[in-house]
Amino acid sequence: MCDVAKVQKIAHCLGVAPGKVQLNEEQVVTRTSGQKKSVAGFATILESLANESKSETAQNSKVSREVEAQVYQWIEFSVLYVAPGSRDRNVAKQLLGDLNKLFASKSYLVGHFITLADLAVYYAIYDLVKSLSPVEKEAYLNLSRWFDHLQNRPDVHQGEPLLNFTTIYLHGWATGTHI
Amino acid sequence: MIIYTNEGNPLGLQLLMLAKFAKRSVQLVNLNLNDAKFKDFLILPTLELDNGLRLFSPAAIAKYLFVDEGQLRDEWLEWSTTLLAPALAHHMAVGHRADPNALPVLNALVKKLDDCLKATPYLAGDKLSAADIAVWSLLAPDGTLKGAQNLESLHGWYNRVKALPEVQQVLAEQPLKDLSFNALQQSNRYGGLHHVPLKRLSLADAGKLLAETASTVADTVTDEELAAAGASFTYTAPKDVQEQRTVLPKAGERNVLITSALPYVNNVPHLGNIIGCVLSADIFARYSRCAGYNTLLICGTDEYGTATENKALAENMTPREICDKYFELHNSIYRWFGIGFDYFGRTTTQEQTDIVQEAFTDVHSAGYIITESVEQLLCQKCDRFLADRFVEGTCPHPGCGYADARGDQCDKCGKLVNATELIRPRCKVCNTAPILRSSDQLFIDLPKAEPRLREWVDKAENGWTHNAKVITRAWLREGLKPRCITRDLKWGIPVPHSGFEKKVFYVWFDAPFGYVSMTKRYTKEYQKWWQPAKGTDVELFQFMAKDNVPFHSVVWPSVLLAINKGHTLVSHIMATEYLNYEDGKFSKSRGIGVFGNDAQATGIPADVWRFYLASARPEGQDSSFSWNDLAARNNSELLNNLGNFVNRALVFCEKNFNSIVPEVVATEEELILLALVNRELRGYINSLEKAKLRDGIRHLLAISRHGNGYMQTQQPWVLLKGSDEQKKRAATIIGLCANIACLLANLLFPYMPSTARTLFAQLNAKQTPLNAEKPLATLLLPAGHKIGKPAPLFAKLEQSFIDELKTKYGGSQETKASVQSQSSTADLEQAVQAQADKVRQLKTSTKDKTVWQPEVSKLLDLKKQLEEAKKTAVAAPASAPAPSNGGQSVQDLEKAVQAQGEKVRNLKGSTKDKTVWQPEVNVLLDLKKQLEAAQKAAKAAAAAPAATTAAPPAASADAGQVKALEDKLAQQAEKVRTLKAKGDASVWKPEVDILLALKNQLAALTGAPAAGGQGKGKKKK
Repeated sequence: MCDVAKVQKIAHCLGVAPGKVQLNEEQVVTRTSGQKKSVAGFATILESLANESKSETAQNSKVSREVEAQVYQWIEFSVLYVAPGSRDRNVAKQLLGDLNKLFASKSYLVGHFITLADLAVYYAIYDLVKSLSPVEKEAYLNLSRWFDHLQNRPDVHQGEPLLNFTTIYLHGWATGTHI
Repeated sequence: MIIYTNEGNPLGLQLLMLAKFAKRSVQLVNLNLNDAKFKDFLILPTLELDNGLRLFSPAAIAKYLFVDEGQLRDEWLEWSTTLLAPALAHHMAVGHRADPNALPVLNALVKKLDDCLKATPYLAGDKLSAADIAVWSLLAPDGTLKGAQNLESLHGWYNRVKALPEVQQVLAEQPLKDLSFNALQQSNRYGGLHHVPLKRLSLADAGKLLAETASTVADTVTDEELAAAGASFTYTAPKDVQEQRTVLPKAGERNVLITSALPYVNNVPHLGNIIGCVLSADIFARYSRCAGYNTLLICGTDEYGTATENKALAENMTPREICDKYFELHNSIYRWFGIGFDYFGRTTTQEQTDIVQEAFTDVHSAGYIITESVEQLLCQKCDRFLADRFVEGTCPHPGCGYADARGDQCDKCGKLVNATELIRPRCKVCNTAPILRSSDQLFIDLPKAEPRLREWVDKAENGWTHNAKVITRAWLREGLKPRCITRDLKWGIPVPHSGFEKKVFYVWFDAPFGYVSMTKRYTKEYQKWWQPAKGTDVELFQFMAKDNVPFHSVVWPSVLLAINKGHTLVSHIMATEYLNYEDGKFSKSRGIGVFGNDAQATGIPADVWRFYLASARPEGQDSSFSWNDLAARNNSELLNNLGNFVNRALVFCEKNFNSIVPEVVATEEELILLALVNRELRGYINSLEKAKLRDGIRHLLAISRHGNGYMQTQQPWVLLKGSDEQKKRAATIIGLCANIACLLANLLFPYMPSTARTLFAQLNAKQTPLNAEKPLATLLLPAGHKIGKPAPLFAKLEQSFIDELKTKYGGSQETKASVQSQSSTADLEQAVQAQADKVRQLKTSTKDKTVWQPEVSKLLDLKKQLEEAKKTAVAAPASAPAPSNGGQSVQDLEKAVQAQGEKVRNLKGSTKDKTVWQPEVNVLLDLKKQLEAAQKAAKAAAAAPAATTAAPPAASADAGQVKALEDKLAQQAEKVRTLKAKGDASVWKPEVDILLALKNQLAALTGAPAAGGQGKGKKKK
């Protein structure tokens, strides 16, 4: 998913009009909304969206300076490591493992509520998770739980078909074709 | 607050500065992410706040520590972490990670900074903000702005920030020279910022602003390195070392005994065998001698066993004659490759018999031999027990009754057969019926030796390669079983045990003792190497491919431990993985791959083969031999890098200094070069001490790359025309380069001995021993030394030549020959049909791949022949093959490939059983290969008429023809684009070739320059 699409998806999540989202001459995503001036940079745009939004997610993301800082670092993490790293097999494995470990003890990336951090990482890792086989998804159980939980929110899936996390199908698989 | 970072991480500076400006006190802790203690850290640097919260994003930390300073500042903060930092990391990366595209991007980024700072004194307006700190701290390490031009505003801002007292305080604690963007690689487990793609800026080219990297690498050189480089660069007259006639280990010195796995005598070694053991062992031995260790390299042919007996039967010779014939073949191949064995022997010697029989007696008296009875068939006429393959008879399986079942398997029903169960068995040689006889065999009691073996493996395995450890551990995990060490053969070492006089030892019992017996042939004092006296340490390095590991790590050590007479046990098992041939397997029977004697026939010098094989050595994982890679490495590394540097240095010395090496008056430039050379030299020594031959080459080439860079920046040819002062500089430069050339000759010697000798002759110098303890470059050629006559060391390998070799050794020459012998396509079609039926029947009756695989291969060969025959039939009527003809068969093949691909995909989807779809995959691969060949033919055909039409002026080119070609070209381009989007290179590569061919054709017609960039290959001066 490209940065423009991600910004649009997240704007919808927050119930904010995305405005005009495009890449500038540095290939950096920018947003121009209404009469206001434009904002450049994925993380900075997400902050501006949160400031305009009254949604629960947006409010959760700025309850304190500590939360704001953590949300920002995960957004940056999604930009620097999750999206590019997904394209390299070894890095992808490391990423999935690290996030899986993280979600062993938490339901959300920051605090106990959904924040922009979850949305940013979710959309950044979407394609990678989509490419996993059922067995692999089972190996990253905690990550899968977090992902499945998020994708079931209507504001997150936005009408897209849900990814399958039901491992029960494995049984049918295993017995049928093995000669 | 605590900053956790890794050594040299430039982002640590940013956090230190942020904390200083925010007036918070911090403590800096260096840690290593590979340490299990720190597994909870994701990204370094990480800041731990006083409340325990950890943050790893510098931008998040800046925003947390400082009050809101506006959106502009936030945008700059994000810009610095997501654009500037990755671009710097790409730019500063070394080795294969270095990215030449980073510099233009970086130029555009600093241009943007400069433009912004022209308008306002600081990035986010009139006041210093966190954004300035963030950007400044990224530009400061690695001296990014050093040597930059036309960036006055940026320079002004940089110096203003640098002068701030807070910055000065931080720099006092954290000197810039300790920081490098290279350290980012260790800052997380995601490859640093390596995977963050460079944003291709659509901005117009910003021009040349920043200096090239060469100077920035130099900035990482420390003062200590400079001092050490200067101090060691002195001349010491070489000592005359007396070459010992016989090398023996000495107490108190390093003694290195090297063996290479014994090649089996009646196989012609292929390139994989050569790099797997003999060549690797030779390179290591040559290094070991250069380093001044007492070194002995032993190898020979393994000659006993069933296979030799069979071969002798087949060729109607005695086993001894067979061995003599093939021993010569091996010996000549290795000699051609320049393998310098101290002794290359054979296992069929009296010494071998004595040593093996003595060893057996020792093992037996130590109580490690058990006798068990095994039922076997005895042919009374031939007077010998029959190996399974030597018996045929009627298949015992109910309902089969096939009359020609073999002793191990029935070809008809495919079931496994026990030779003793065959109905009406007969000897394959004389056709008489053998009788069943129970025969006693000797077994070595490995379980009894296991406890001692485990104890030894625990200590010894540290020096082994990873695969050797894994394989040995797997054997030990399964538990050892007694192994039969006798065979009922004639060609072998007789067993010296009553009742066993007619038996011989199994090859794997006798072969490893070949190392000992060959040493005995070399010197009567062989026991000094194999059973050294107390106080003399002998390190045994054994080189082999991974399939030989268990015999060297489990079986033979068990025997030696059982004997318990203080034998030298292996301390370093150097096992390689496999070398593939152009992504397939070497196959003698199908004529695929390059075998020892073929390498000689190519006309490519042995040294180039040695160099290429060593740099493609399958260390750690399988690697592939590729003709294109061979050519590329020869042309880019040997010719353009190493050869270019050495030749330039010596020719300058000859032409401008009358062949006299001038004096080197080292300035800082020279010391920096020497320091960089010393780094690589240390890497070279460290790699070769561990027999990591591939890495050694990398370091060697890096030295000449540094040398080339130095010469390019110093430009002695300009200085030579200048003032006296400048001429002196030029003298220093040439003197230093000549010395580095001499160092390179020494380092090159283990890999390319005859090239190194040529180079020594050109330098008029002798080999100097390497000092592994203190790997620093010294003055090898003092001022006044007269060099010899320089000449180019390497020749270019042309693509056309490589293409020729590729088709020659691609497995087609045999089929071509057989096409001529086959009378017609009709016959072939029939044969294919019959063979296909046979395969189908076999496959339905059995799952055992070994049964039907040979039949399938036959079928594939037949099909290939048929295809070829059809092609020649099509081509025959037209005297000159028109391009459309080639295109036709190409199209057919493309269709076939597509259909077969579909089939394979379906099969793979429906079943996981590899044996089911593997043959289909093979068919697919064959088809693809054919397609490639056909396309090449089409390309060649296309080029020929194009050339003729190019001869008359372009005006005569037929407009219609051009139009047609252009249409075709557009279509092909479209096809390539869609294919590329789907990924798989093996699919679109051939299409790209077609496209290029079309482009060439069009170019020839219109007279426009051809695509493909042939003009780039010009040698630069």
